[in-house]
Amino acid sequence: MLKIKDLHARVEDKEILKGINLEVKPGEVHAIMGPNGSGKSTLASVIAGKEDFEITKGTILFEGEELDEVAPEERAHKGIFLSFQYPVEIPGVSVTNFMKTAINESRKAHGKEDMPASKMLKLIREKSELLDIDRKFLSRSLNEGFSGGEKKRNEIFQMAMLEPKLAILDETDSGLDIDALRIVANGVNKLKSKDNAVILITHYQRLLEYIIPDFVHVIHDGKIVKSGTKELALELEEKGYDWLKKEPVV
Amino acid sequence: MAYTEEELKKELETKEYEYGFYTDIESDTFPKGLNEEVVIALSKKKEEPEWMTLWRLEAFKIWKEMTEPEWANIHYQKPDFQDISYYSAPNKKPKYESLDEVDPELLDTFKRLGISLDEQKKLAGVAVDIVMDSVSVATTFKKTLAEKGIIFCSISEAIKEHPELVKKYIGSVVPKKDNFYAALNSAVFSDGSFCYIPKGVRCPMELSTYFRINQAGTGQFERTLVIADKGSYVSYLEGCTAPSRDENQLHAAVVELIALDDAEIKYSTVQNWFPGNKEGKGGVYNFVTKRGLCERNAKISWTQVETGSAITWKYPSCILKGDNSIGEFYSIAVTNNFQQADTGTKMVHLGKNTKSTIISKGISAGKSQNSYRGLVQVNSRADNARNFSQCDSLLMGNECGAHTFPYIEAKNKSAQIEHEATTSKIGEDQIFYCNQRGIDTEKAIALIVNGFSKEVLNKLPMEFAVEAQKLLEISLEGSVG
Amino acid sequence: MAFENNVDMDHPIHDIRSEAIKNFETKGFPSKKEEAWKYTSLNSLQKIDFSIFPKEENALEYHQVKKYFLHEIDTYKIVFIDGIYSSYLSETTHDGVDICLMSSALTKPMYQQVIDVYFNKVASKEESLTTLNTAFSREGAYIYIPKNKAPKKPVEILHFATGNEATLMLQPRNLIIVEENAELQVIERHQSLTSNEVLTNCVTEIFAAKNAIVDYYKVQNDTKKASLIDNTYIAQKDKSVVKVHTFSFGGKLTRNNLNFYQNGEHIDSTLKGVTILGEKQHVDHHTLVHHQQPNCESHQDYKGIYGERSTGVFNGKIIVDKIAQKTNAFQQNNNVLISDQATINTKPQLEIFADDVKCSHGCTIGQLDEDAMFYLQSRGIPRKEATGLLMYAFANNVLESVRLPELKQRINKLIATKLGVRLGFDL
Repeated sequence: MLKIKDLHARVEDKEILKGINLEVKPGEVHAIMGPNGSGKSTLASVIAGKEDFEITKGTILFEGEELDEVAPEERAHKGIFLSFQYPVEIPGVSVTNFMKTAINESRKAHGKEDMPASKMLKLIREKSELLDIDRKFLSRSLNEGFSGGEKKRNEIFQMAMLEPKLAILDETDSGLDIDALRIVANGVNKLKSKDNAVILITHYQRLLEYIIPDFVHVIHDGKIVKSGTKELALELEEKGYDWLKKEPVV
Repeated sequence: MAYTEEELKKELETKEYEYGFYTDIESDTFPKGLNEEVVIALSKKKEEPEWMTLWRLEAFKIWKEMTEPEWANIHYQKPDFQDISYYSAPNKKPKYESLDEVDPELLDTFKRLGISLDEQKKLAGVAVDIVMDSVSVATTFKKTLAEKGIIFCSISEAIKEHPELVKKYIGSVVPKKDNFYAALNSAVFSDGSFCYIPKGVRCPMELSTYFRINQAGTGQFERTLVIADKGSYVSYLEGCTAPSRDENQLHAAVVELIALDDAEIKYSTVQNWFPGNKEGKGGVYNFVTKRGLCERNAKISWTQVETGSAITWKYPSCILKGDNSIGEFYSIAVTNNFQQADTGTKMVHLGKNTKSTIISKGISAGKSQNSYRGLVQVNSRADNARNFSQCDSLLMGNECGAHTFPYIEAKNKSAQIEHEATTSKIGEDQIFYCNQRGIDTEKAIALIVNGFSKEVLNKLPMEFAVEAQKLLEISLEGSVG
Repeated sequence: MAFENNVDMDHPIHDIRSEAIKNFETKGFPSKKEEAWKYTSLNSLQKIDFSIFPKEENALEYHQVKKYFLHEIDTYKIVFIDGIYSSYLSETTHDGVDICLMSSALTKPMYQQVIDVYFNKVASKEESLTTLNTAFSREGAYIYIPKNKAPKKPVEILHFATGNEATLMLQPRNLIIVEENAELQVIERHQSLTSNEVLTNCVTEIFAAKNAIVDYYKVQNDTKKASLIDNTYIAQKDKSVVKVHTFSFGGKLTRNNLNFYQNGEHIDSTLKGVTILGEKQHVDHHTLVHHQQPNCESHQDYKGIYGERSTGVFNGKIIVDKIAQKTNAFQQNNNVLISDQATINTKPQLEIFADDVKCSHGCTIGQLDEDAMFYLQSRGIPRKEATGLLMYAFANNVLESVRLPELKQRINKLIATKLGVRLGFDL
């Protein structure tokens, strides 16, 4: 599904990704871990197509197609979803209205008619129940005045609504209390299937107790320095990241 | 009146005159120029009674002594008032034989605004040979109103049919000498609407939703008079979301609202006159005086969506004369390309326990300049006056300007006034967030702008709000690369 | 008015002066027809026949005027009596920094170079009262702080009017230059000691170079017959921090024209004011912050309490130029009217030409919080004292940024006196 080859990317003059290689297949859950500033969030943004980053070398293939020239909204139409680490506030635009626009824009891109209002309502009801979201919440302005937990839950709600092929969760666990974390993880687990894939970007092992990854990668200084199974996450929790840093970078 | 327009003086430069007037001379058109004879002839042509002719003449005399105001934050070449024809019989002959002859760009806009085919024809000046459904609608409409004793007709008709009402109220809120454009309008107003709601009557429908077509073409000096008698209610819609390609460059309308004790008037406007082309050529100069008077417990609410005109100079105001009266002003002003808008409101608190609310949203794009100018005045006898004002500006691109000039004058210790203003831009992070959810940049901007304007859009009657929302989208198209 | 004979034609800045005279002759005194003077009329002042140059020198004893000094701490002092320098009351210095007289700076060759670079460079050449000052001022404070220096103590600039002449118009002129990484604190006060009319038309130019820090305090608590038109022009370079506090507690008519021009990046400009007026006093705060470069900030906070028949005006203008991206400009103006005859006119004004900016202004006119009042009264504090306390609280956050504790205390006492309450504790 996703194939990243020798990816180098920079912002302004600073090189952040220095040769990432990663392959994600349908049905898989990958966790990407690493210390602050290692390039985890940059990788997420680059996959989603944020323009601040310039790819200097390497490729990203999504379902066999090169993404470099593809606009962010087209990537979304193809089924890439990014749960933002810091979701953005849009005053005056309700969650419902935003979702309606997003879904219909995607449908339009696939040559489909707008989703009928009744079907949309049903979908909203279904997904909000799944994530234990109060309906009143859906009429509030997008992310405006939301608590940290509400923002993250809203991201997962949007993921549920859009049903992406590849979901990248960028530090979705940060700032969540244990109950919220459980709800979010539960939602992700329910949405998981053999046809879609999830990339979890996280700093801590905590989230991985709830969403079991098939693979764990450690990113450091713009490169994946170690890959393994979920045991690697435990090891990291125990030893921290320092022992990895000490290893000579090849 | 406690204040004068002159008090708001502001310096202004002028720029090259870029627009030539062009009037397609029909047989029944006055020669260009303005003098007493023209005013008399105009009044005669409209078969007006003598008092009206004299009223116009007095206004003309006043106008001659006045000079064009220069305090607004707008730059334009002053029109040559002797180069305008002040009377032109309504053009009965259709301009086009079929829609195929109409500018396709215009038709496209109509379509996107969701305007029906029949309406499209009417608006574009195409001959309509089928009997529109709306004619019968109009008849029922008029009947319903008549049953309630509501008078709703053209001001010309009202001058003839209801002289006692017109005589009593015309010029009572906007005096002839109020300002340069109001004086000009008083002398030469072409036509407009008149509305009277009798005591205790609640007007059962939004006035003029249907009439928007019929109202088009009332000329460049429109005069509107709305009187809500004690305890009555009316919601009045003015204007049209469809682009109006009027060939008259100068528009100077006057709107007077009178809300007697316990009455309420809701006045909504969508203005979409031709704003000039992308290079800033042409476009309508819109100089409007709108003012309402509230007696005891009365309420006047102005809502406006301004997207058109090359120049907008407009301050719908409320004189809160009666105790417990309420004034509201909700506005969205969008400027793009080379448009200039200087708009806002005046809330004059005279009575006790009077309240006013001002919500103004300015959106500037392209090379446009958008100014909010407002006055909140609390006079010494206006105990417990309350005002809340919020003026937000949204800038798109760095070639445009947003300005706020709020004047606040309080002479009473019990006054409570709050004013807030912010200026912001559409964040790149907001756009990326929308993009990531599959919404393209253009649509994302429309979404964000709608969110920004929501508090005002919500005040519009439902069907108008939907059109206004689309209108915002169209007005800002291509403003962000 | 034939004052030309009194002006020294051989003066090195003669050309600047004659230019200024020409401008003033064309423009004359501003009238209410001008937007900037919409709410302040100078008519009553123009009717008075002021004499521009004092005929005789007057002397004062320190004990007569001690209370007007910040005598609790040691300061440099530049003192003028009826516009003439009083060496007896002053304490100037040339020890590493120059804290001395404008007249000597203008005439002595050693200052020539600085004068050429700075004098009349930021002050308006158009605004009529400023040009009036430029034309006829002869004296004032001259402060020059070289690179990396800071004077040992704050500087006080005091102007006394004895009014032994019938009426007097004073035209003080201050020039303050704070060079790179240097620091300065100034307290300025104009004080009338007479029951005759006094009109002061003061111009101050302040230049803050890169990384300079300037704190300027204006204390205005004058008599019923004293009027002040204060024109302050500040030019700031990169990363400089300039704060101006204006405390307006009295005078017949006070007009503060405070203008900040940001000529560099990462500049911080702060404008704060507390105004407490009674009687028929009139204060007009007219501020301008012109953001001309990116990445700068400005903070304005003016509080006003207006009683009796007083009038307050706040006109705060913020201009953000097209290139001044990432500007953060904040303005706050809160007012309380405590009398039926008092008036407040306020006009915050934003003119923004850059898109990536954060600008906001807020303005309120209201009363003291009745709930808070009730709370205090229910705790046994009489209404009058409660009022004082609440007003103090209202004005308090403006005082927070005053860096001189003795001055802060002095202002607190002035506020308490002004409000006519004993707060029962030392603020």
